Amino acid sequence: MLTANNLSKSFGAHQVLRDISVTIAPGTITTVIGPSGTGKTTLLRALAMTDVADRGEITMDGKNYKFPWPENEKISPKPWPHITAVFQQLFLWPHLTLRENILLPARNFLRATMMDELQELISVLELAGFIDRFPNEASLGQRQRIALARALMLQPRYVLMDEVTSALDIEQVSNILGFLPRLKERGIGVLIITHALNFARRAADHILFMDQGKMIEHGNARLLDNPQTPRLKQFLSMVEAAH
Amino acid sequence: MFMEAFSIIWAYREGFLKGLIVTLQLCAIIWSVGIVGGGALGWAGARYPVWGKFIRTMAFLLSGLPILVLLFWLHYPAQAIFSIVIDPFITAVFCFTLVNLFSVSDLVRGAIADFPQEYITAARVCGLTTRQTMLQIQLPIILRQILPSLLTLQVVMLHTTLFASLISVEEIFRVAQRINASIYKPVEIYTALGMFFLAISLPVNGFALWLKARFTRNISER
Repeated sequence: MLTANNLSKSFGAHQVLRDISVTIAPGTITTVIGPSGTGKTTLLRALAMTDVADRGEITMDGKNYKFPWPENEKISPKPWPHITAVFQQLFLWPHLTLRENILLPARNFLRATMMDELQELISVLELAGFIDRFPNEASLGQRQRIALARALMLQPRYVLMDEVTSALDIEQVSNILGFLPRLKERGIGVLIITHALNFARRAADHILFMDQGKMIEHGNARLLDNPQTPRLKQFLSMVEAAH
Repeated sequence: MFMEAFSIIWAYREGFLKGLIVTLQLCAIIWSVGIVGGGALGWAGARYPVWGKFIRTMAFLLSGLPILVLLFWLHYPAQAIFSIVIDPFITAVFCFTLVNLFSVSDLVRGAIADFPQEYITAARVCGLTTRQTMLQIQLPIILRQILPSLLTLQVVMLHTTLFASLISVEEIFRVAQRINASIYKPVEIYTALGMFFLAISLPVNGFALWLKARFTRNISER
């Protein structure tokens, strides 16, 4: 179980996260929705512990991390890649081919089935046509799928994804939706930040709605059909109107 | 003309060889101390702000000072002020190494300081160790970035060693001048000298261009 309690984070005088608590159970998919600039990416980075929270606590499978973390001290025990992340900007290493981007970190966790797993990912995510190119020779949608494959090859317990389907076409999103249950079967806890409400509705076991750094409402996928707070109602109606 | 240039080089091969050895000795010290020391200093400059400030200041000051002025100042006024006499070869080595050291260190410091932190973050969440991140992510990207400029800088330093002749260092240019003074064949002698420098500089410059074309391709993403 990945549990975050009362996470807060500020950049200068601007408080971006305000006492957010989240639980991600193994084998479940949680999506985070909300307006832009509301702190969703900051939440992902705080949960991934790449940007440490100012206050709060994260517990991951019995390991406890209390914040504020002592300055200049590394996060210990290392939570990665038990928890890993696919960032919105992807951050693929530009000097390596896409295949090497996937295999370089995976080699640290060598196992007999590694190449079979890679083949499965190549097939499911349709990577075969471009996997030996460099990142700058691939489209955004292709790079998103590579970043996803790079994270999944690490056999993480928890994967945090930030807008990983934003540049994918309907067919590719459908493939990802079809692939997510396999992650659940493997017991991987997934958190996905998305603007695509339909994707959230179809993928999520649990939906969190954030606004201005706060958790406003959360619940199962039916939350989107039956919002309780005026702010979520307003947000959903604005999104529907925009479409 | 080229045949005559070769025949002069052959006739005065002993003198040219001695000059060549002095030039190569100068280069060996300037290049090795500059690259190794500059690399270490640049790394320290990127890691510790005080060192970074020191390097930036020194590189800025040295870039505003013509090397010839610095060389002459170290050879004449500085030695007069301190009432010491230093071998011109050592003065030249000190002067050119100083310039190369701070040029290289500023190049390395800048490349490390400007390294996109996101690539390191990606390495962390993928479970790469600090050593792996440094050796397999940072170093290859930084080397690809700085290598062409570094090689070009070293060719410039080779050319700069000619100034050492002006403070009586018996390097190849001074030897050429002395031979010319005794036989007066400037066209052939300076053609031979030009060919010598082309023979060393062009492969290094070509290598720098090849590296630039091979590794510093446009990596901006679509």
